[in-house]
Amino acid sequence: MLKRSLGEKVFNIFNLLGMLVFSVIIIVPVLFVFRNSFELSETSTTTLRLWPEQFSMVFYGMVLKDESVYRPLLNSVFVTVVGTPLMLIINALGAYTMSKRELPGKSFFAYYMVIIPMLIGGGTIPGFLLIRSLGMIDTLWAIIVPGLASGWNMTLIRNYYWSIPNELTESARIDGAPEMTIFVKIILPLSKPVLSALGLLTGIGLWNTFYAAMIYIRSPIKWTFPVKIRETVMKNEGNDKLWEEMMVAAGLDPTELLINQSGLGGAMMVTSMLPILIVYPFLQKYFAGGIMVGSVKG
Amino acid sequence: MIYLMIVPGVVLYYVFRYITMPGIMIAFQEFTTGGFKYWCGFENFDKLFGLRAFWQAFRNTWVFIGLEYVFIKPSPIILALLLNEVRIMWFKKTVQTVSTLPNFLTWVVVSGIFIQLLSPSTGYVNAIIALLGGERIYFLGRAQIFPWLLTFIRIWRGVGYSSIIYLAALGGVDPELYEAAVIDGASRWKQTLYVTLPGIKNTIVVLLVFSFSGIMGGLFEPVFTLTDGNALLDETAMVLDVYIYNTGIRQGKFSMSTTTGLFNSIISTILMLSANYASKYLTEDGRTII
Repeated sequence: MLKRSLGEKVFNIFNLLGMLVFSVIIIVPVLFVFRNSFELSETSTTTLRLWPEQFSMVFYGMVLKDESVYRPLLNSVFVTVVGTPLMLIINALGAYTMSKRELPGKSFFAYYMVIIPMLIGGGTIPGFLLIRSLGMIDTLWAIIVPGLASGWNMTLIRNYYWSIPNELTESARIDGAPEMTIFVKIILPLSKPVLSALGLLTGIGLWNTFYAAMIYIRSPIKWTFPVKIRETVMKNEGNDKLWEEMMVAAGLDPTELLINQSGLGGAMMVTSMLPILIVYPFLQKYFAGGIMVGSVKG
Repeated sequence: MIYLMIVPGVVLYYVFRYITMPGIMIAFQEFTTGGFKYWCGFENFDKLFGLRAFWQAFRNTWVFIGLEYVFIKPSPIILALLLNEVRIMWFKKTVQTVSTLPNFLTWVVVSGIFIQLLSPSTGYVNAIIALLGGERIYFLGRAQIFPWLLTFIRIWRGVGYSSIIYLAALGGVDPELYEAAVIDGASRWKQTLYVTLPGIKNTIVVLLVFSFSGIMGGLFEPVFTLTDGNALLDETAMVLDVYIYNTGIRQGKFSMSTTTGLFNSIISTILMLSANYASKYLTEDGRTII
């Protein structure tokens, strides 16, 4: 064991302190929004405390009762739950074709799916015109379908297939198993790591959809949740009538209390973060995996 | 049978990537919400280059690009280097876990968090300022602060996630090189300078070259969600991405929007090709990245 110099010890201490401060800076803004979402009255929000002074679930009640809030929430759930498996199926299938090195036209697929679209793209307006001519404007399909096939994801999955030893499929092939059986029974189960990582990233991407919804969705009832969150946070207001009803039901006098204006936005943001926060600790390796999948075994 | 498996992917690609490709020709057409009117050559470009708003967006975009490459891009490298020096494993892991998380939150939520945090009346930041006896500041109403604010928030969101790849690269540096450096009497700082950094240079160069392909983009969500078209901020916050959205989707000026988009991609392509060419002077084998 080498002896550490004084300078190194000092550096270590400052480094640890620095990392601690850094973590606090990352986490406090999130905790602040959590507190905000449970804080009922406006007057108490100027303090630095991390817990609410007047604890209340009323804003979460609003999220669940106000149709203009929970419909976008359900839309985001729909987009995520439908889009993610579809993406995985389409790309895992296509990747299998691409993974056949001996297949004629293999490089055609690589050019067709990855290289050319990377260099030439239509842009926002041509995309909008296409969606319009397909009659998908103002439907959730406009958010799900255009991104389903991804040459990039297909390439990543294909690279993973390549890392699966041939011996595993060889015997099945000799027994005369059709390709589809080999794919479903052998390849897919072995590809769980890459599919989980990509599925997770795609799912989060769909859950967080904002830009596509801003372009393709017109009616507020069909918005994705982030679009609704943005509107609420910016305007700091909700459905006043429902608001009062809920206050009365909770035994509070709506005329006397100065309501925490940012509470509803806070509750909506927490609702949006919650699924990610819940799965994050369990699936952390896949979260981190997403960025690495592309870089190993290129 | 094997070919059948890729059919859904190929068809979707044809419809959503290829059919839209000729759409860039709208930049050379008079094209309104009603559809194609007539070919107009480079008229749209002439018109665009004559607009003050365009040049403002162009300049602002470049300010953000400058801030990105000076502050945002190096931040994960610095974080990775510092984390790499932390010898307490559980602490290192915790910092990593915490700092990676914000990257998975939508920009709407990230902006919302900071809008509430920076609120003049109810946010923490102004509560601290008030406690210290200062004047409350309306951060999101000041054009001069905005680029710095956005840069900070972009680092806040992305630094942990981006550092993962550098940490992996750091783990790949041969430990024998460190042992040799220690025997030669190199301090930790010297080791960082002469062993660690050269060890991850290739990773840095590759990521740098690829980053140029999207250099002009990626600003729509952060800027749009943080400003909400607040005209007070346009002076520094109006960037080309938002300009494309505003002219195209909001105002229905399809030709101008597409022209701006095409202009954007031409610049990105030129930058990426130049960066790729320059990369051969930085890689060990003297070859370009792509």
